[in-house]
Formats: sequence, C-alpha cells, structure tokens
Amino acid sequence: MWNFGEDTMKGGLGRYQFWCGFFRLDPDNETLAAPPRFTRSDTAMNRPWSGFLTVLLAAVLAVTSIGCQQQTEQEELVIYSGRSKALVDSLVEMYRQRTERPVSVKYGTDSQLLAALKEEGDQSPADVFWANTTGALSNAIENDLLTTLPDSLMNRPARFAPASKQWVPVTTRFRVLAYNSSNVDSTDLPASVTGLPEIDELDGRIGWTPAYSSFQDFVTAVRTVEGEDAARQWLQGMQDLNPKSYTSNTPMIRALAAGEIDVALTNHYYVLRLKHGGAEGEYEEEEGEEEEAEEEEEAPRRGAPVNTYHFASGDVGNLALVTGAGVLQTSDQREAAQEFLQFLLSPDAQAFAASSVNEYPVVPDAGVQNYMLPVDDALALSPDFNYDQLQEIDATLALLRDEGLL
Amino acid sequence: MTVRQVLESARERWYVAVPLAVVTAGVLIPLAYLLVRALQAEPGQLVDLVVRWRNVRLLGNTVALTAGVLVGTTLVAFPLAWLTTRSNLQGRGLLTLLGVLPLAVPGYVMAYVLLATTGQYGTLAQTMGVVLPRISGYEGAFLALTLGTYPYLYLNLRTALLGLDPSLEESARALGYSRWETFRRVILPQLRPAFLSGGLLIGLHVLGDFGVVSLMRYETFSYALYLQYAASYDRVYAACLALMLLALTGAILLLEARLLKGLLYHRAGSGTTRRAAPWSLGAWKPAGYAFAGTVGFLSVGLPVLTVGYWMADTAATGLPWASLGRSLWASVSASAPAAVLAALLALPVAYVGVRFPSKGAKAVERIAYLGYATPPLAFALALIVFTLGALPFAYQTLALLVVAYALHFMAEAVGPIRSALYQAPPNLEEAARSLGRTPLQAFWGVTVPLLRRGLLVSVAFVFLSAMKELPLTFLLSPIGFQTLALDAWSYANEAMFGEAAPFALTIMAFSALFVGLLLARETERTEQPEAVAG
Repeated sequence: MWNFGEDTMKGGLGRYQFWCGFFRLDPDNETLAAPPRFTRSDTAMNRPWSGFLTVLLAAVLAVTSIGCQQQTEQEELVIYSGRSKALVDSLVEMYRQRTERPVSVKYGTDSQLLAALKEEGDQSPADVFWANTTGALSNAIENDLLTTLPDSLMNRPARFAPASKQWVPVTTRFRVLAYNSSNVDSTDLPASVTGLPEIDELDGRIGWTPAYSSFQDFVTAVRTVEGEDAARQWLQGMQDLNPKSYTSNTPMIRALAAGEIDVALTNHYYVLRLKHGGAEGEYEEEEGEEEEAEEEEEAPRRGAPVNTYHFASGDVGNLALVTGAGVLQTSDQREAAQEFLQFLLSPDAQAFAASSVNEYPVVPDAGVQNYMLPVDDALALSPDFNYDQLQEIDATLALLRDEGLL
Repeated sequence: MTVRQVLESARERWYVAVPLAVVTAGVLIPLAYLLVRALQAEPGQLVDLVVRWRNVRLLGNTVALTAGVLVGTTLVAFPLAWLTTRSNLQGRGLLTLLGVLPLAVPGYVMAYVLLATTGQYGTLAQTMGVVLPRISGYEGAFLALTLGTYPYLYLNLRTALLGLDPSLEESARALGYSRWETFRRVILPQLRPAFLSGGLLIGLHVLGDFGVVSLMRYETFSYALYLQYAASYDRVYAACLALMLLALTGAILLLEARLLKGLLYHRAGSGTTRRAAPWSLGAWKPAGYAFAGTVGFLSVGLPVLTVGYWMADTAATGLPWASLGRSLWASVSASAPAAVLAALLALPVAYVGVRFPSKGAKAVERIAYLGYATPPLAFALALIVFTLGALPFAYQTLALLVVAYALHFMAEAVGPIRSALYQAPPNLEEAARSLGRTPLQAFWGVTVPLLRRGLLVSVAFVFLSAMKELPLTFLLSPIGFQTLALDAWSYANEAMFGEAAPFALTIMAFSALFVGLLLARETERTEQPEAVAG
C-alpha cells in the first residue's frame, strides 16, 4: 500500500513536520545529536557514539516520514477481519485480481476488532466486518454497527441466513468429538453429547474449550434445545470428569495428538487440519465417498491416531455453526462492500474456503475436499435449530461463570 | 521548591521537561480512558465479576508464578552475568549474545515449542526416543517464562557488573575480607538497582502474560481478565478488570520504590573506572561452559531447532519470500524507530529519577512502569479514542504505532539507563557546568557518553519487544500493515505451524542480527576509553 514515488515524499512532509514538532527536534540543526567536545579523551569517546546516534535518529525520521504516508487518492475497500490470514489473504488477492479494486485488510480477533469499531465510532475507516462467529456479528448488530443487506445478497446462501438480514453467512463448521482411536473405541462413545458425562472411564481424559466462542454457541444450543437445567446438569456432569480446559482448539488438538487427552469437543476442521495439513490440496468434486474410514496411517506417525466421531443424527453435539460478514454503517462505499460479500459467496471463493481451511460452503454449487464428509451428510447430522437463538449469549456466559468455567 | 521555581527549571531544562510531559501524558491518557469506561459499568454486575472466590484463587496462582519466575530467572541470570563479565571463560561475547536472544523468541512460540518437545509423541521421543512427561500447568508456565524473560535480569546485572569499580573490591580484600565476604558485603549491595529493575520488568511481564499461561493451561489473573473480555465483547468490564490488574502492579511498584531508596553507587574519587581483572575459574571452567551452554541451548537452540523442524515440511514447497520481505520491513520500520524513541524518552525519566530524587521525579518514573503494566489492548483502545479525538490525521499511521510502542515499552528502557546513571558521577557534569557549559551541553557531552552501555541495552530491549508485539500492532497499525509477529501468530493460531515457522524464524534471526550489531558496538567502545584514559 505504500509507494515511494515523488508525491509520497512531498505528501509525507506534513507528518514529518508533525514529528519534529512533537519532539522539538530540528532536523537541520545537529546541536542535539553532536555534543560539544571539550577534552581530548571526551572527543575520542564521543564522536563515534554521536555519529551512531545521528544515523539512528535520521533513520527514525526517514522511516516514519515515508511510512506515515497513507494512500488516499483511490477509494480503497477496507476489511476488518476476525478470520485468519490463511483464508482471507488468498481470497482478497483473488478478488483484487478480478475487480482491480484496491482492498486492504486489518486482522485481529473478533473481540479486538469489535472493541476497535466501537471506539472508532463514526470515524471508522472500515467497510466490511468479517467475523469468525455469529456471536460477534450479533454483538455488532446490537451496537448498531451493520447495515441491512439487499435480498439479492441474502438469497444467495442456501441456509443459515439471519432474520436480521444484516450479515451473510460465509462458511459453515460442525461440532464434533475428536478422539484418539488407539485408546478409545468409538463404539463405546455415546449416541448423544448429553450422554458424555456418563462415561466414567473418560475421567481426566476429556478436553474442552469453555472460553471459546464455538463451544459457547454449542452451550447456547444445549440451553435452548434441552433447557437451562439440562445444560447446567451437563456442565456439572462434565466437570465431575475433570476435563482439561484449553483456551482454544489449536493447543487442544495438539494435546490430543500428543496423548495428553483422549477425547476433545471441537470443530470438525481442526481434526482435518491435523491429519491433512492446512495445505491447498487440489479439489475434486464428488469423488471420495467412503473416505470417512480414514484408518490408513500416514507413514511417519507424528502423533496419536486422531479421528472424528459424530454423534447420532440430529444430536446437538453435531451442531452446525456459521461464520459471516456484514457491511458497516460507517462505510462510504456500501455497493463495493456488498459486491465483495457477493464474491465471498461465489462458487470459486466457497470452494477455496473448503480447500484452504476445510470449512463447508453455504451456497449449493460448491464442492468440498474428498476427505471431508459430503455437505449434505454433514448437514443431515446437525440438529434442527433456530439459529437466531444463538444471539442469547449473555445467559450462556452467566451460566458458565456460575459454574466457575469463566 | 515552589511552583514558580519548578516552572523556571522546567523551562531551563526543556530537554528534560518535554519528554517527561510526553511520557506522563502517554500513560495518563490510557488511565483516564480506563476510568471513564469503568465508570459506565452497572455496579451489580461489576460486583459479580470482581468479587468472586475464583479471583482469589487466580490471584494466588499469579503470585506463585511471579515469585517462581523471579527466583528462576535469578538463578539463571546471575551466574551467567558473572561468568560473562568477571570470569576468564573464552567466547564471552557469544555467550552474551546467547543471554539476550531469548527475548527474540515470542512467548507463545516458546510455549508451543516446549509442548511439542515433550510427551509420548514429542520431538524428543521421535528423534531420540526420550519420553519426558508432557509439560504443562505451573511447571510449563514457569519454565517458558523463566527461559523467555531471564535476559531482562541478565542484561541489567551485566551492565551493573561491568560498571563496578574494582578498587572497592580490592580495598575490601586488602582490609581482610574473604572472597565470599567481599562478594556478599561489597558486590551484591552494589547490584541492587540492577536486580530491582530487572526483577521489576520480569514481575510485570509475568503479571501481564497471556500467551504462555493460556497455552500451558495455568490460570492466572491476566488470563482470566482476557477471557472475560474476549467472551463478552465488552470494553466496560474489560476496563474494570484492567484497573484491578493495574492496582496489583501499583503494589509491586511501591515495594520496589521502598527497596530502592537512597542508593548511590557512583565513584567519589578522581580518575576513570578500570575494568576488573577476570577471575580464573581453574578447574571449574568446564562447569561454567556447561551451565552457559545448557541455558543457551534451552532458551535459544531448542526454539530455533523446533521451529526449523516445523518448517522442514513447508520449505519443500517453497518459502513465501515476498511476504517475508514485506513483513520484515514492516516489523523493522515500526520497531527500530520505537526503540530509539523509547530510549530517548527514558533517558530524562531515569536522569531526573536518579539525580533529582524528589517525590515528583519518583512519580514520573513510577508512571512509566504503569504504562508498561497497562494491558496493551486497553492501551491501544485508549490511543484510538485519543487520536481520533485530538489528532485524527495521525490515526492508523506508522507514526502512531511507533509512539504507542515507545510509550508502552519505555519502562524496559528505563532500567538499564538508571543502573548506568547510578554509576555515573554527577560531579563530572558539575565540573562541565563550572567550565561554562550549558546544562544541556554538560548532560549530553559528559553524562550521556557514560550511559552508552545502558542506552544500547535499552534500545535492544525495546526493539526485541516491539518485534514480537501483537495487540498494539493489531489495533493501531496502518491498515494492511503486516508484521512478522502478526503473520506468525495468525498461522500458529490456526495450527498451521509449517506456515508460521518461516515468520517466527525471521523474527529470531533478524533480532539476533540487530542485537549482535548493537553489542558489537558496545565491546568495540569499551576497549577504547581505557586506551585513551591510560
């Protein structure tokens, strides 16, 4: 985003002066940097040192005056992304090439970006908020940050479109139970996630992520489907089995692979990434059918054999969760922003998400990797659920705090 | 002093007054922001969040970890500092570099490395068949933090040891003290400012650490605060909790101030300080090498090897040179100016604190540490509000990021300069004044050269921290600005260690290069004064 052409240098002068004023340094006058010398030994010690300092100072000023320059001539689409670089970078590059519109991305976590958006208020430069969780998007709606999107965009996804019409779903992930298949026999695992606390043999061998948004969404689903009391009982029953709490799924799945735990409540793609890497494998349409039987072991075994367990069809333990994006109120180019969302829902972009981060598409005509469970099968496993209920995150947080998990 | 006198001297010494004002403003703005936000809280829910047994337990964990790491770092840093300054070990320059480099390893990388090394399927088990229990919890957090932060103490101690006047020891020996007595009653007391400033940094670092404790699953106070914050998307309660953390920091700062009272360690006589003659280790030499080697291997070798091992997978498909180069430039263009700026700001803060130890001066110094202890996320949000309100044109510019780094990390720069100042005799400056120099000329021409070593260490500290920094960079950087640290974290967070590895390695390699160059300058210079003065 920087160019070092002539006009940059000219334009940079303002900031340079701002800097100089700020620190009361006069760039043309070296009195500060070159100290007076009055004895022989003093001179000998002094000169190289002050030279070094002068060079450093000059470097500071030069670098900042060049770097300060922001490119403003062209209308740039600014995306605040809670989603990771692994997915976003390539998609943005793809979009840039297609439309030749300059796009730049600010990365962060959902909560960091939301906090920044709130503090920026109507001075925010952002056009699009692309979040990792529906919770963050709901919070953005509550704070009146998002705009209503046209039906042409909202009708595009085959499922999960929110009633508010203020954001579009971009990808889907599923809750699963990951397990170490050499220590746990999948036939011993319960048909429902609600039956998990009854498996006493798993004492001390379970991993979960109470502070992680996907887990909290899952608890919200348990609360609304099974009732508040059942959710509380489930949490208490689980805690009796002394589960290990991880802050996020990555260290948890590593712990599973390292044999520290034997089962883990997680999202489906963490297992896939562990086994197949985050690599951009070429994507083949509807080929691998019986690929779930992933029993063949990779030659150099770097960890315990980790497999995916799905609960019985329709169980809340198989809940589908969506990520999404919306256009911000502060955007001065809403049309371009909507066009970007439209692009995210294109078959190419959707298939890329499936291949690069192993998440499921939300539009009907995009395929997934052959080692992934086919879209329809995965959806059939997920319970019937009104996704607008996931907004009720506060009651879930209160419950988790009550049970000492947060 | 009356108010008028204060104003008068502030005008006369503007070169001290202006940076002090900047520092004070830079720290008080976030504090004011936090107070404003905290006051928006509903009292009922606030009480629920703050008054909980869980918080007491977390506080206990935090204190235990902080104390443990302080002991651990002392046990590592002190022998290493002594070996590299006062013994006759060969290759002390290299060992010194090894004592600094752990600062180039981001905390979460260290934690991931330790987790990946141990256990049934760890790299140790795979490559050598050695199965150690998978490290986590208190031990894991203790080990990762000790290995990652001991350089703060090491460098402070080293600066102090190099600046010690050997004639004091010689007199003590001549007057009949044994070596041990000399060490305990003459050398150790002189190292107190260094111990305190190094220990303070380490303590504050542990208090605020989130990366290591979260990966090691050891629940401390800051860990809980972060989770509350991330879970509820709420800046109001986050502000309340940040203030609680600051209160804890305040207690530590008071303690340090009490311990630091009335210290003066400069030479009173005439002439120049000589270098002490190195102690011969004799038969203990191999033990010295073994110790330094083990520390260096665990804190630097292990992370580099492990990250290299991760990279081996992806290296085959080609490294992302273009984005590595872009991110490296971004990292350096923010970190290098920030390091110099931080040292320039820290210089007057330390100077006033040591030479004019009034209550006000002490307050300014404490304030600098408060800025370090302010959770970076809160610090960044406060700067967003302030910049958009007062200097909207500076928002999301590199200049803002540089200033933010400098203000936040300035506390790291104060310690080494302060330690050096304690050893710089004020009467030299007074002599320069009497010979007709202005205060600025006297300060810059006489005192600053004596602080060279401290200044270099300060620049190195801040540079290394800024290279790894995440929350400030996330929120304040220009849009589209990608540093190495952001890249490494982004991939590692998605479990793509192969992709994260090149960025993590570049951080370490470039930091090593930069610090190596700084230290090379230092050794070059230390030889010279002797020749001139001799």
